[in-house]
Amino acid sequence: MSTSSRLANSEPRWLRRVLIGTGLGFLFLFLALPLLAVFAEAFNGGWSAYIEALKHPEALSAIGLTLFIAVFVLPFNILAGIAAAWTIAKFDFRGKSLLITLIDLPFAVSPVVVGLVFLLIFGAQGAFGPWFAAHDIKVVFALPGMIIVTLFITFSFVARELIPLMQAQGRDEEEAAISLGASGWKMFFRVTLPNIKWGLLYGVILANARAMGEFGAVSVVSGHIRGETNTLPLHVEILYNEYNAVGAFAAASVLALLALVTLVAKTIVEWQMRKETEMLDAALPPEAVRNQE
Amino acid sequence: MSIEICGVGKRFGSFVALDTIDLHIPTGELVALLGPSGCGKTTLLRIIAGMETADAGHVKFAGEEATHLHARERKVGFVFQHYALFRHLSVFENVAFGLRVKPKRERPAEGEIRRRVIDLLKLVQLDWLAERYPSQLSGGQRQRIALARALAVEPKVLLLDEPFGALDTKVRKELRRWLRRLHDEMHISSVFVTHDQEEALEVADRVVVMNHGRVEQIGTPDEVYSNPASPFVYQFLGNVNVFHNRVHGKWADVGRDVAGDDPDKTAAGEAMAFVRPHDIDIEHKPLPGGLEALVQDVHAIGPLVRVELAHASELIEVELTRERATVLNLARGQTVWLKPRQIKVFKVLEMALEECGSGI
Repeated sequence: MSTSSRLANSEPRWLRRVLIGTGLGFLFLFLALPLLAVFAEAFNGGWSAYIEALKHPEALSAIGLTLFIAVFVLPFNILAGIAAAWTIAKFDFRGKSLLITLIDLPFAVSPVVVGLVFLLIFGAQGAFGPWFAAHDIKVVFALPGMIIVTLFITFSFVARELIPLMQAQGRDEEEAAISLGASGWKMFFRVTLPNIKWGLLYGVILANARAMGEFGAVSVVSGHIRGETNTLPLHVEILYNEYNAVGAFAAASVLALLALVTLVAKTIVEWQMRKETEMLDAALPPEAVRNQE
Repeated sequence: MSIEICGVGKRFGSFVALDTIDLHIPTGELVALLGPSGCGKTTLLRIIAGMETADAGHVKFAGEEATHLHARERKVGFVFQHYALFRHLSVFENVAFGLRVKPKRERPAEGEIRRRVIDLLKLVQLDWLAERYPSQLSGGQRQRIALARALAVEPKVLLLDEPFGALDTKVRKELRRWLRRLHDEMHISSVFVTHDQEEALEVADRVVVMNHGRVEQIGTPDEVYSNPASPFVYQFLGNVNVFHNRVHGKWADVGRDVAGDDPDKTAAGEAMAFVRPHDIDIEHKPLPGGLEALVQDVHAIGPLVRVELAHASELIEVELTRERATVLNLARGQTVWLKPRQIKVFKVLEMALEECGSGI
């Protein structure tokens, strides 16, 4: 929609330039420049040093662990997110607003606190710690603990993306499917899922980015065991503290690349979503009922 | 298949949506549930469809208990006000949906599905749109596809929730007539919800007038219009002039004479008389039992002439044919006499209790 023709809305040219310039300048200074700096630092020692840093067993293990955790939490996020969104959007029940608030909790709580909470629950002095120790199951300072905190941190993304979408779509289509004789599963896979697929994907992408980039919570429960419980963000910190700038920035560049991929994927999904909503909102052609006799 | 509704009640929190509804819908009838918004008509329809559970009462299909049947087992076709077409499926697949989701042993073969869907699309005269998506259709086309989709599973009962509510007047009128013909061809029982009295009176075999979760009156369109059982029905179905015997003493008498009610009915207390604007005659000379009034305004509206008159500071509306208006040659400020051709008197007590039973 063009606003240029609206006189009331048009600002003087110089003001527009100043505003746009400020925006672009800010973007460059705080977003583009750091990203460039990461890659510049990573390649400071040349291409071979970069490859060498990434081929280090600890780096490879960190990349592997990060990807593993991200992939592992994905199905849980999808299932829990859909279930929560479904419950909230399609049913009315007591305590609904409490549930909505709880879903926002992971966003409100500082990740470090999340890590500490799980340390308290599953740690040696915690409520379930002794039981796990007795059964020789390691939760904190091991992979299970890291997966649990990552789940907590990333849980909200899918649900938050789906709730408004499902609320907007209402229950009509599902009810129509049921009245046509569809079973619950058929209704879900043939009607609900196709309607929310882009929103779901969008939520998954955001959750995934967070899962790969999470530092605070994972840091608390990981125990920083090199080659074992180090994810990429933790690996970056360790190397940086050891004054291994090239190694740290090489690992950081991998994270940055993952972020860029996420960004591209997110843009594509957003574009698809918009295309579908536009299609739905498209003005109806004038009604033309053909002669009926 | 006949539908039997016995003592159905439904509350949402403290709000009484339905208050013991009893209703019998015989096989093959087209019934309209008519009432203002919030009167419970949609809730009743959804209870028949099994999408809402009643707090009390029973629903029977063809004499068999259906109260606890799940919506998918009731074999009803449901048409939603906002169509509820599956937006990601083509028109063809929308109509085929009900056939495709059948359990494997009941599911028709692909060729059979194709044949039946095309037949249905021809029935709703939209076979040329099979490959389109719902977003590419107009409102009227969407509603017809929704109807075809509901008919695909060969329902015994067709339920329509404000089927034409979202369409513009011209399309609504055409679809209305078309639905009537379709219903006659299909030989099924249909129930549709509407707040549009014209729609209900034109299309339905029987009209169920509802208000505040109760049935006010059940009857043929002619019965409910010309012989309303309660003040509410009178006022809901078309324009009406209301006279209090406190203000228009004479008219309550007139009402008694004309309607032939037993005298103590009006004598017992305050009464209200209801007269439709087209049931009032205007004369220039005094009439026995007539009401004197002052002409306030005369508008010609299409085939009718609407005259606004004042009596004891209250406004009375009268509708005359053009011929009659020409004969009378009314002008603003004239004094005339009014006489009702048809009048209905309700006791005020009745209004307060709204004790206007159902039943035909």
